[in-house]
Amino acid sequence: MARFVLRRCALVLPSLLGLLVVTFLLIHAGSADPAAALAGDAATPEQIARLRAQYGFDRPMGEQFLLYLGRVAHFDFGESAFSHRPVALDIFQRLPATLELTFAALLLSIGLGVPLGVVAAVKHNSWVDYLLRLVSVMGIAVAAFWFAIMLQLFFAMDLAWLPLRGDLASTMTRPPRLTGFMLLDALIAGRWDVFVDHLRHLVLPAVTLSLGGLATIVRFTRAGVLDTLQQDFVFYERAMGYRWTRLVWLFVLRNSVTATVTQIGLLFGGLIAGGVVVESIFDWPGIGSYTVQAILTGDRQVMLAVTLLVGTVYAAVNILVDVVHGLLDPRLMERA
Amino acid sequence: MMPRITRRQLAGLAAGTAIAGGLPPARAADSTTLVSGFQLPQNLDPHQVYDVPMQAMMLNTYDNLYRYQNDPPELVPWLAESHTVSDDGLTWNFKLRPGVKFHDGSEMTAEDVVYSFRRVLALALGPAGAFLKILKPENVTAPEKLVVRFKLETSYAPFFAAIPSVCIVNPRIVKAHEKDGDWGKAYVASNGAGSGPYKIVSEGYRPLEFLDMEIFDDHFLGWKHNPKPVRKIAGRPTKETSTRILALLNGTLDWTDTNLPADQVEQINASKIAYVQKDVVMRTFVIRMNNTKPPFDNVNARKAFACAFNYMGFIKDILGGYATRDPYPQPETLWGIPKDAKGYDYDLAKAKEYMAKAIAEGAPMKRPLELHVQSENEQSVQGAQLFQSDLAQIGVNLKVVGNIWSNLTNAAAKPETTPDMWVHWVSTYFVDPENWVGQMYDSQFHGTWKASSYYKNAEVDALLRKARGLVKQEERSPLYQAAIRQIMADCPDIWIYNSMQLQGINKRVKGRRFCTVGQGAEVRWVTLEG
Repeated sequence: MARFVLRRCALVLPSLLGLLVVTFLLIHAGSADPAAALAGDAATPEQIARLRAQYGFDRPMGEQFLLYLGRVAHFDFGESAFSHRPVALDIFQRLPATLELTFAALLLSIGLGVPLGVVAAVKHNSWVDYLLRLVSVMGIAVAAFWFAIMLQLFFAMDLAWLPLRGDLASTMTRPPRLTGFMLLDALIAGRWDVFVDHLRHLVLPAVTLSLGGLATIVRFTRAGVLDTLQQDFVFYERAMGYRWTRLVWLFVLRNSVTATVTQIGLLFGGLIAGGVVVESIFDWPGIGSYTVQAILTGDRQVMLAVTLLVGTVYAAVNILVDVVHGLLDPRLMERA
Repeated sequence: MMPRITRRQLAGLAAGTAIAGGLPPARAADSTTLVSGFQLPQNLDPHQVYDVPMQAMMLNTYDNLYRYQNDPPELVPWLAESHTVSDDGLTWNFKLRPGVKFHDGSEMTAEDVVYSFRRVLALALGPAGAFLKILKPENVTAPEKLVVRFKLETSYAPFFAAIPSVCIVNPRIVKAHEKDGDWGKAYVASNGAGSGPYKIVSEGYRPLEFLDMEIFDDHFLGWKHNPKPVRKIAGRPTKETSTRILALLNGTLDWTDTNLPADQVEQINASKIAYVQKDVVMRTFVIRMNNTKPPFDNVNARKAFACAFNYMGFIKDILGGYATRDPYPQPETLWGIPKDAKGYDYDLAKAKEYMAKAIAEGAPMKRPLELHVQSENEQSVQGAQLFQSDLAQIGVNLKVVGNIWSNLTNAAAKPETTPDMWVHWVSTYFVDPENWVGQMYDSQFHGTWKASSYYKNAEVDALLRKARGLVKQEERSPLYQAAIRQIMADCPDIWIYNSMQLQGINKRVKGRRFCTVGQGAEVRWVTLEG
């Protein structure tokens, strides 16, 4: 197992380097002068030239890239031209909120998607199946920003059950930041009020973000379970009088979720990307709006750092998916 | 093809639905917390950043020697009790108030003011632009405990107008957090070091997302003017129009930023909980023409374009009437505009006449032209499309190109990379003609975005430079009038409107005072009812 994980990690490094090279080239080809962005609106040409020399933006591109790599190796991602703060600090403050939202959405997608997929397969061609298929098609087709506004109108405005936006009521003070994950920090600080309030704020963005993933997981699980239900061991166990529910939820499901697990790995990247819109609508303080701002202002250091970060998280999740595959089917691990 | 629904339209639908559906009772914060939707600045250091969002933040957390107050804006003594200036305009003395305290309780002295100005000059960012060429760090001194002296390199009248752009920071806090001689840049970017009526709450800040401030009871002005002040400001900017409006309508946002779309005004005013405040601000909207590129190097060609823009159509139909036509190169409410000056009107027949003259003079009017707009701003895109359609009627082929601010300012650094035309606003960085005509049309500023039409007229240069070197407004005004008269005759740009800011405000907010510098964001005056 350890060798398998190590080998996968080793393969990730060249991928991340490639990602960085491509992003570096694209950003240099397309975005504004970083020195001008750093200097601000009121800067004189002399101020801009001084910053260009100070940060090495006047050097050849290859040299700039090597310098950047050297800094990244020391976890120095440079300074944001927009916030004038270290990029690492900005990301460190925001990433936990994005991960919290992403995991919550993933949890909802899996927690609802897998059982619904199984139900749809077991009841295939019944009205339950048709309904779930319709809902899953709609889940994929519906635009996140439209769904988000509908949720806001219904649950925050009409029913007033849930907060409209943000991550905490404006009258509350935040618990000391230990992990950056508000739910954990609230528990550590014994702030039950913050925990509950933050959880309430999490519901609408997480539901919005989970919709597409939920629909995908329902469809893949349904297809996988339907396929497995046709296998001989199912007919044999049923003939032997094995309890149907136990058979489906333990053995059929385990043999059906390989494709679903792969999809979950792929979904994770989609959820982080989709989070940009959802964070923006719900004013969720994650890396989404930070990334949008960086693109709009041509903030190179942030664009590079976020790309590298998302690439790394995506790679890590996919390694995890491979491990889960191995656990579900040890033959895969042996072959690898 | 399905009609495309924009998020703005959806926002209108959302607001309409919310109102039609009957709003729930207001769920506002308590009566001591104001939830503000103003955009947050890039970071919290007023010496690194100086723009409109920063003005709104620094008015509440920092103090300045003088400050703009009221509408129209006037410079009033703030940390300084008074000032004197030598006849040659080179030496300025500011006498400070005694007993001013920073948030850490330490007393403010002239040395702190000296440190603040030297820090601005050393960082050379944000507000430094107005001072770098005329002030050396060693020439800011403290001859007495409460007297600050500035010796300028050259007489520069806008110096006084730019004084409010510099916040006084607490050197004891800043120096304690310096790293590698960075002037505490990293620390002040995320923390407070001021003396203003509100202090920044630690753990209460995340760039662009939220900023909490709490009242500073020992502020030098005291609180007698407002017996029931706001005790906490919760800065909670919204990113999406729809969310902003819903938050205002359900009472969880006390005031929005000042860029509310015009098409939301009626719906918000129809609600029981909020209204839209309209204030005329000094923020001009201009289409720049690159005077170095044909056909814009021809004055008749430029005039043809100026006559082909449907000013009132744009203001009425696209901006909903929420702007005032301003045909001058600076806000019409600012001094220095000649009374006899007359701008250009929308007149396609006249545009054709000018075009014919330009063609006769060899101007390539049939060349495909580009107008670059800031894609994220729908109104400027619509304005450009309106212009495109009118120009098509006189046979000019205009392409509207979406772009972003940083790319445009970067391109504007050289005449050859500056687009044929581009649009932008000029906000009030300081209230003086220098902020507009001075920096837009004096050729010494070529290379900056403000001077991106690359207009050059030796007579105008001389007038603007002379006006800059005089101190008295009555002496400067005729010079600016002469310069503006000539600039308008040369028509280097298309001046369109002066902005009206639209801000959604909860009806429980009372006592707000407006000043164009800071957009009425000074919370010191505000009381929350209920």
